[in-house]
Amino acid sequence: MKVKIKSWMGVATWRWIANDENCGICRMSFENCCPECSLPGDDCPLVWGACSHCFHMHCIVKWLNSQPNSQQCPMCRQNWKFNIQ
Amino acid sequence: MANMAVSRIKREFKEVIKSEEIVQCSIKIELVNDSWTELRGEIAGPPDTPYEGGKFLLEIKVPETYPFNPPKVRFITKIWHPNISSVTGAICLDILKDNWAAAMTLRTVLLSLQALLAAAEPDDPQDAVVASQYKHNYSLFLMTARHWTNAYAGGPSRFADCDQKIQRLKDMGIDEHKARAVLSMENWDLEKATESLFS
Repeated sequence: MKVKIKSWMGVATWRWIANDENCGICRMSFENCCPECSLPGDDCPLVWGACSHCFHMHCIVKWLNSQPNSQQCPMCRQNWKFNIQ
Repeated sequence: MANMAVSRIKREFKEVIKSEEIVQCSIKIELVNDSWTELRGEIAGPPDTPYEGGKFLLEIKVPETYPFNPPKVRFITKIWHPNISSVTGAICLDILKDNWAAAMTLRTVLLSLQALLAAAEPDDPQDAVVASQYKHNYSLFLMTARHWTNAYAGGPSRFADCDQKIQRLKDMGIDEHKARAVLSMENWDLEKATESLFS
């Protein structure tokens, strides 16, 4: 029997590959966005530090802005540096 | 209250309720009102400390900027400890001030306070009188802390000598807590305590 495909529709799912399930700042799961956003994905991205800890970008930026005297990871207190992947 | 503060407190609340420490009855947390801005914590005095057997109540106020700023925590239960004011219950603990980090939670705060009860820092005091007694007359400090744990937190140790001295001051018309506080400050010297009350 021969089958001729006339058309097809691809469906894909995505997820963040983070070393943790929740953001340590807002404690929402990484599958969800930070509490300030409504849709997960590119609009509410995750970022990693050089220390390998991962947060919603909006959350870590808020944390760093609230700490005028030191820029430390809220998890391990190492100096925070964005890990550009 | 800001979106993040409320949603985080709600999640943390569930986290504490489910935690191992709740099962062991060593920490507890309750809501005070529906707005999630004020909570009531409770920690058990750690074993092998003068606070053993006591239950200590804490007032926890969650700022709008939480978790970017620490919760405001104070002891409601009166306690004799170098890093906690015997008058106001104010706490001297780095993580509640400059060393706060957004990844800390109500659960870790309660556990840190429990650790503070087990390991005082008399060189960084909140109550200088208690700290001085801790450093210069440790056995008297232990007795006083145990006595306060019994009087205010339901601890097991009673000291007949303390009770008698307090009664003597009460007979002179002094309020019980005031009598206890002054005697504790004067290293249970009844004469000195009387002097400082009436001079």
